[in-house]
Amino acid sequence: MRSKKIGLHTFMAVPAFVLYGLFFIYPLCKGIGMSFTNWDGLHPAQFVGLQNFLDFFHDKRALHDVITTVVFAAGSATLLNVVGLIYALLMNSKFKGKSFARMCIYMPAIISPLIMGYIWYLLLQPQRGFVYHMMLRMGKEAMFPNWLGSFGSVMLTLVLVNVWQYAGMTMVVYLAGLQSIPVELYESAKIDGANGRQCFKYVTMPLLGTSIRINIVTNIIGSLSVFDIIMSLTGGGPGYQTESLSIYIMRMCYGSKTGYSTAVAMILFIIILVPVLISMRLTRQKGDD
Amino acid sequence: MKKHIKGLVSLALCGAMATGMFTGCGASAKGKGSNGKVELTLFTGKIETIDSMNDIIDDFNASQDRIKVTQEYQKDASSVIKVKFAANEAPDIMTTYEQEYADSGKYMDLSGQKQWWDRLNPEMKDMCTDVGTGKQYRVCTNTTNAGFFYNKEILKSVGYDKFPETYDEFHDMLTKIKDKGITPWFIFGSEAWHLGHLIEFIPHGYIKQKYGTIDAKKAMLDNDKDKLQYGDPNGAMATFAKNLVQLKDEGLINKDVLTATSDNCVQDFVNGKTAMLSNGMWVLSSLQEADPKIASKIGFAAYPSYMEDMKPVVLNAEDSGYCISANTKHKKECIEFLNYLFKAKNQKKYCEAAGSPSAFKDVDAKWAPENIVKQVKDVTENSVNIGYTNEKPAGFSGDDAGRLVQNLLDGQYSPEKFAKEYEDAWNAGIK
Repeated sequence: MRSKKIGLHTFMAVPAFVLYGLFFIYPLCKGIGMSFTNWDGLHPAQFVGLQNFLDFFHDKRALHDVITTVVFAAGSATLLNVVGLIYALLMNSKFKGKSFARMCIYMPAIISPLIMGYIWYLLLQPQRGFVYHMMLRMGKEAMFPNWLGSFGSVMLTLVLVNVWQYAGMTMVVYLAGLQSIPVELYESAKIDGANGRQCFKYVTMPLLGTSIRINIVTNIIGSLSVFDIIMSLTGGGPGYQTESLSIYIMRMCYGSKTGYSTAVAMILFIIILVPVLISMRLTRQKGDD
Repeated sequence: MKKHIKGLVSLALCGAMATGMFTGCGASAKGKGSNGKVELTLFTGKIETIDSMNDIIDDFNASQDRIKVTQEYQKDASSVIKVKFAANEAPDIMTTYEQEYADSGKYMDLSGQKQWWDRLNPEMKDMCTDVGTGKQYRVCTNTTNAGFFYNKEILKSVGYDKFPETYDEFHDMLTKIKDKGITPWFIFGSEAWHLGHLIEFIPHGYIKQKYGTIDAKKAMLDNDKDKLQYGDPNGAMATFAKNLVQLKDEGLINKDVLTATSDNCVQDFVNGKTAMLSNGMWVLSSLQEADPKIASKIGFAAYPSYMEDMKPVVLNAEDSGYCISANTKHKKECIEFLNYLFKAKNQKKYCEAAGSPSAFKDVDAKWAPENIVKQVKDVTENSVNIGYTNEKPAGFSGDDAGRLVQNLLDGQYSPEKFAKEYEDAWNAGIK
C-alpha cells in the first residue's frame, strides 16, 4: 500500500521535474556546450576550446563590467540587509498604522523593476525631472545634484533605488524570523538583567541565523545578476560605465558573439557562486550539518 | 473503489498537465493552414505603419482564397530576427535587413524581379544592391532623409535666411542663437542610437562623399584602413569629435546632452526652447503631433561641411525594405503578395501613413506638408546625397558607436582617443 502511494506521488511530481529539466537543466547543459564554441547565431558552431574564457580576461569592457557589478552588489546586498532588518524590527514592535506602513514598504517590490527605473529617471532627470522642478520652485535649483552625471553618483542612485524597491522583501523574511523567536527568551534575558542592546545581540541575532542566511544569499544572487533596473535607469551608460555583466551578456549575444556570451554567463555563474558559498559557510550554524 | 477513482483522476490530471506543457513545443504549423491556404508571415519593426499595412493585408487576403498573410510586429525587431534565424524560424517576408544575413545566404535573391526594379528610382535600386555580390536581396518602397530640422523663425531672428554650409559659419550661427537665450542644437544623448546616427551622417558622410557611396561601402565591407582612416588624429572622426566637444564646452548644445531623451527634444523644439535638431524624416510625425501648427515653421538643411574638401551632406537613403527568406517554401506566394503591396494605390496609402516619400517613380503621395516636401527636394538637389552604412561590422552596431560618443561627451576621451577607440571597436567588431 505504502509503495503504491509513493509511486503515485512520484508520478505526480513528474511534470515539475520535466519542467525543471526542460527549462533549467537542458539550457544549462546546452549553454555549457555552447560556451566552448564560436557560434554567432547564424553559422554552424565550431569548437574553440577555452578560447572564449581566455578572451574574457583580455576584454577591458567585460572586466570593467565585473567591477561595476561587484560594486553594485556589495552596496546593494549590504544595504538591503541592514535596511530590511531595521524595517523588520520596527514592524515587529507595536505602533499605530503598522499595517499601512508595512504595505508601503512592501509595495515597491511588486512593481516591475523596469517601470521603477523609468519612474526614478523621470524623478531625477537633470534640468527636467520632478525633483529638479521642485527645487526650482524653491529657488534652490543650483543645489540640485546631477544624480545621473558621474559613475559614483549613478552607482549610488542605482543602489538606493534597488534597496528602496526590495527592502520590503528582505523585511518579510526577517519579520518571519523575528516572530518565530519565543517571547520567553526575551523575558528570561530581561530577568537576567539584559538591556535592549544585549537582548538584540545575544537573543535576536543568533536566532535570526536562518533568515540572515536566506537574505544574504538571495540578495547576493539578485544583485550580482542585476539587469532591468540598470537597463531602464541608465541603459548601462554613459558609455558602458554602469553596464552590468548581465547586460553585457545580452548585448554580446545579440552582437553575433553568442558562444562568447554564454562563456561570460558561465563566468558570472562562478562569480555569483563564490560569495554565496562563502556567506553560507560564514553564517553556518551548529547542527546545520 | 474510491481510491481507484482518486488514482485515475490524479493520473488524468497529470496527463493533462504534461500534454499542456508540450502543446506549444511543436514546430510551428507554417505553410498550409487548416483551411488549405498558404500562410505567410510578414515580420516588421515599423510601428508607424502597422495599421495601414494591416489594411493592405486585409484587402489582399480578401482578394483571393489561396494565401493568408499575417503581420508580426516586434518592437526590438533587429534582435528578435536574430533569434528567429538562430532557431530556423525565419518569417517568410521581413523588413529587417543586415549585411551579415545577406552574407550568410538568409535572403532570397530578388535581382530577377524586373516588375519592381523597372518602377524603382535607379539610385534606390543602387542602395538596395549588395556591394559584395552585386545582387539585390531587398526591395525598398520608400526613401528617407536625415539632416537638420530647424526653427525658421529663430534663425531669422538672428539674421539667417539660409542655413550655413560650413562648420565655421554654423558655429557662428549657434553662438548668436545662444546669445538670445535659446539652446542652439538639441542632442538627445541618452539614446545611443541618436549619437550613432551623428557618426553615420557626419564623419561617415565625409568618407562616402570622398569616395562615393558605393566605393565607401566597399571600403567599409573590406575594412580598407587606408581609405577609412578612423584613427587618424587629424581625420574626419577626430575632427568631428573636436567640433562636438567645442560645441559642448561653449554651451552650444543642450546642457543635459547625456540624459536628454527624444521626447525632451521634441518638446523643446515645438516650444521654441531649441533652434534645431538632427534627425530623420520620421521625426516629423512626432513634431506635428506635439504641435499641429509647427509644420510651417520647420526648415530642413544638410549637415554643413567640416573638412576642407567637403560639401554639405544629406542622407537620402532607402527605407521600408522587404526581403524574402531564402528558406521559405512559398517564394511564389511571397512575390504575389509583394506585387500586391507594391501597387501604386497601396504604396500611396503606405507613404502617407509612414510620412516618407515613395521610392517608386509612379507613386504620387502627399507624405508631408507642401513646404517641407519642397525644402527636402531643394536640399537633396543641392547637397551631396549619402546612403546608410549597412556594411558595418556585425559586432559593432550604431548603438555601440553612440556609446563611444557618450564617453566623449562625458569627458572620458579626448577627440584623438575617441578616434582611436572608434577604430579599435570597428576592427574588433569584424569577424
